[in-house]
Amino acid sequence: MNLFPGKVKNMALTKTKGKCEQTVYLESGNEMAALALKHVNPHIMGYYPITPSTQVAETLDAFKAAGEHDVQMIPGDGEHGAAGICYGATVGAARVANTTSANGLLYSLEQLPVQSGTRYPMVLNLVNRSVSGPLSIKCDHSDLMFTLNTGWLILIAEGPQEVYDFNIIAFKLGELEDVRLPVIVSFDGFFTSHQKRRVYYFSNVDDVRSWIGDVKTPIHALDPEHPATIGPYMNEPDLINNKKQMSMAFDNAYHRVPEVFKEFAEMSGRKYDFLKTYPEDFSDVEAAVWVMGSPSETMIFAAKKAREEGKKVGVVIPKVLRPWPVNEIRETFKNIKSLVVTDRQDSFNFMGGNMTTEIKSAIFENENRPLVQSRVYGIGGKDLSLDECKEIVELALSTTQKKTVDVPYDYIGAEPGDLEYKIEPAVEPLKEEDLKPGIIKVEQKEDGTLDVKGVNLRKLTEMPNRIMPGHGACPGCGIFSTLNQFLKGIEGHVVVLFATGCAMVVSTGYPQSAHRSTYIHNLFQNGAATLSGVVEAYHEKMRRGELDPNLDLTFVMVAGDGSNDIGQGPTIGAAIRNHNMIVLEYDNEGYMNTGNQLSFAVPKGFSSSTSHVGPAQVGKQFGHKDNAQIFSACNIPYVFTATEANPIDLIKKAAKAQWYAKNDGFVFGKLLSTCTLNWRVPFNEAKELMQKAVDCNFFPLYEVEHGITTINYDPEARKKKISVKDWVGSMGRSRHLVKPENEAILNELTNEVDRRWHCLKAKAENPLL
Amino acid sequence: MSALPIKNENGYFEIRMEAIGGMGANLAGKMLAEAAVIHMDLNGTTFSSYGSEKTGTPLKAFVRLGPGDEEIAIGGPVVNPHILVIFHTILRDILPVTSGLIKDGIVIVNSTMTPAEAKEFFDLPGGHIYVLDCDKIVIEEKVKINTVMMGAITKVSNFIEPDAVRKAITKGLGKFGDKIVQANIKAFERAMNEMQYEHFDWPEGMDEIPIAKVTQKIGYMNAPLGGAILNPGNTIDRDVSGSRAGWIPVWHEDKFTHCGICETACPDLCFTFEKGVDKNGKEGMMNRGIDYQYCKGCLKCVSVCPVDALTKEKEADFDVDKIRRAKTF
Repeated sequence: MNLFPGKVKNMALTKTKGKCEQTVYLESGNEMAALALKHVNPHIMGYYPITPSTQVAETLDAFKAAGEHDVQMIPGDGEHGAAGICYGATVGAARVANTTSANGLLYSLEQLPVQSGTRYPMVLNLVNRSVSGPLSIKCDHSDLMFTLNTGWLILIAEGPQEVYDFNIIAFKLGELEDVRLPVIVSFDGFFTSHQKRRVYYFSNVDDVRSWIGDVKTPIHALDPEHPATIGPYMNEPDLINNKKQMSMAFDNAYHRVPEVFKEFAEMSGRKYDFLKTYPEDFSDVEAAVWVMGSPSETMIFAAKKAREEGKKVGVVIPKVLRPWPVNEIRETFKNIKSLVVTDRQDSFNFMGGNMTTEIKSAIFENENRPLVQSRVYGIGGKDLSLDECKEIVELALSTTQKKTVDVPYDYIGAEPGDLEYKIEPAVEPLKEEDLKPGIIKVEQKEDGTLDVKGVNLRKLTEMPNRIMPGHGACPGCGIFSTLNQFLKGIEGHVVVLFATGCAMVVSTGYPQSAHRSTYIHNLFQNGAATLSGVVEAYHEKMRRGELDPNLDLTFVMVAGDGSNDIGQGPTIGAAIRNHNMIVLEYDNEGYMNTGNQLSFAVPKGFSSSTSHVGPAQVGKQFGHKDNAQIFSACNIPYVFTATEANPIDLIKKAAKAQWYAKNDGFVFGKLLSTCTLNWRVPFNEAKELMQKAVDCNFFPLYEVEHGITTINYDPEARKKKISVKDWVGSMGRSRHLVKPENEAILNELTNEVDRRWHCLKAKAENPLL
Repeated sequence: MSALPIKNENGYFEIRMEAIGGMGANLAGKMLAEAAVIHMDLNGTTFSSYGSEKTGTPLKAFVRLGPGDEEIAIGGPVVNPHILVIFHTILRDILPVTSGLIKDGIVIVNSTMTPAEAKEFFDLPGGHIYVLDCDKIVIEEKVKINTVMMGAITKVSNFIEPDAVRKAITKGLGKFGDKIVQANIKAFERAMNEMQYEHFDWPEGMDEIPIAKVTQKIGYMNAPLGGAILNPGNTIDRDVSGSRAGWIPVWHEDKFTHCGICETACPDLCFTFEKGVDKNGKEGMMNRGIDYQYCKGCLKCVSVCPVDALTKEKEADFDVDKIRRAKTF
């Protein structure tokens, strides 16, 4: 039985409207971006994972491991670093791609005008996501709007097909000799990036590669016979001329876009233009709706229904946002009476978002101008439903006979809330006396180091939990066991700051929070700097007598190994400034919140979603970062390592950490923490795995007190030493290293682990090291 | 077999899966849509409710199918499913899972209940109710529930071609090796044959199941400034027991030494310790048991217990509410 009568003949193999053979496929926007990059095969991809764009790099890495392309994929230390890698590679005459979203874009924003202003084309997939205060990972266009003035060309892809097509087009367009500008391919997070749709791709990659041709970089850094000073220091009277050149290049791009689209249509059968309109012939349209990105088809659907009833409504969808198609917009809207512009972001009280203001300015010189209404929708991933699209269509139609509009600017989908509803406390705030049971005693010894007594796990069950149950972590998550243990060693009130990561996401999903004590979030890279600000506010307000002198607070930052990659600089800055605070790194060896991309803490050869294992690549390509030693070199009062498998050791270190943070300054603690999901281990094996990591010397338990290193547990002395192979072989993510063909990688890892262990032992034996 | 209105007013056939992160519903959607698009010449889209879902949190997966010669115009979630698939009965207490089911629609439930019991359990007005003990197949065939449910969906749809789905499973799971593919194909076949089915008349005059409108209690007129949460700790209202995969830790009071090690291992803060007196009359902190509302069944506590006072047990063998020690705060 077939559901749909009148089905078309086998579309499954090829679609031959264009001159190139194509294959049908079902894929998402991110995966189609990766497929396009595989087909284009640029030299370099510099990237840093951020939801919802991460899959682009993940998918491309999986292709890489399978030996399907030659793109060198370089994970940055953050998006700023990734943008730097890309810039450097383009200056090195390479063809280059990047992918990012939201905060990642803003973190790298200063690089965008550098890339365009020095005229090095590249392609950036911008997977749209909100930039906001309370962190959202969902779609809106507030990130994209920051790029409008950066000198990049911007193509807007509606669905996975256009993501694929525009990635190919972007390389061609940006690299044209009279353009030479970088290009953003922008598409909606989740709606387009993750929704799988039917798509067609070129069956022969040579069709793609021969069309784009070899990259040509007239001025570059790898030609000593023609040395160039790339990026000089330039003010007046010259910079204005550089900008004028860019403006001219934009004019050229405006003229070149239709040519490139035409060539692409000949190959693919898919025709694009600056604007897509429904209906194609707009001559009878009186009321129009402007919409961009993933809801476009739904809006067309709503308009189609209205047109079936004889209503003269139409929809306009931009495919090219830069160069801004001002002539096409003027022409399209010349006979319109009413226009609703939908904006997936807001310029706050500017009577609309950026699209409204840009369109109003574009049509300013039209003889007949429509009444324009702006509607802000879809913030933070809110879906624009068919019913809402119908309402918008109706709004446009109902205005055609009016002289003025009633509500020129409004939000769709915002809710006032229930004014009767009272927010009731869920639990009583913790009392200081309960938080100071006095079970643990810390004393300073003559040599300046500390002695901790009284760590008794049974007695310490009396310590109230600062974190409440009901959080959304995966079963067997190491983070919360570890944190719970650590907080048992901290007496009195705490103020915690969680940088972005699993622990933050699973414990504070609005309107719920698992934190019984005060909690602050700030972005991935900036937690330590932020907490320094809180600490210094506390001290200064105390000094000015503005706080109760008895107010006793301990400040703890909690961040994953990811946050300690991208936030390395700010955390080192806080350490060097020696603020009275504790920084905890829960190291689960990967960016687990975004789906297990490699972190710098991941050992060489281990698999992750950006270091796949396959015939052409065996896991991560470089070695693991030793963050405890990095902070030890900052000469701070206290550095320690610990795991949940040794709770007494961990809690003792917590007590010491609190003493040092109160009396001497900055503390850094590295806590190895199981991620059962991505380590591919059973939920219940945390203790065993932690112990193995310690017993093979991969993760030695030690502390550094004012430069004096003490090894707290020596597997060799206790005759517990196991091989690195034993530990590596016990996890799904690294088991492949035990295979004979990977012996060299395992040996290299083992030798490195041994070398670091011997260094540590030497330090423990000699207080001057 | 069921008689279905085959397209909704927009021209699509729609499936909604109500599942829990980690069950593979997203992949099930992908493989089903691939079967339809690549192997049956239909058009289709598939996606999940997106976000930072972790293993154990509710997740919806959608499949929308349409004629092969048209684009699919609707990109939003499936609001009025033709087939509603419920991967775990606990979801009833967490979300309005049956919201929007079309008139006389199809429901597939993973459960050992009868269709009549499932109808009552989910307060369904009627329709084509299929019940399948997926967990049994999952354990016996060593597969995830997703391919089991794909078998059920394929069968009840009456138009999705089993062979197309087999091809999609073979491709989708191919990277895990032939053995796993074969196990999943077997699970898929079994599901098609092991369902219990009953039809219940849809009440006259009733259209779809009303769409659950979630009105936000906190909105722009009353939300604390800047998105702050002023009643923190309120996750204690959540029931996370749906994360369990059939196993629970059970504590044996007679063996307890109240050492507190389990409490250091539990990521979900399920243990209750109180001041008390032990059997020798000695004062100290006493373990009073496990609050299963928060237990995700990771069994770390069982692994670390030095005196075997905690054991791994099948959840189905216990009345969890009876052995639960509810936490107070």
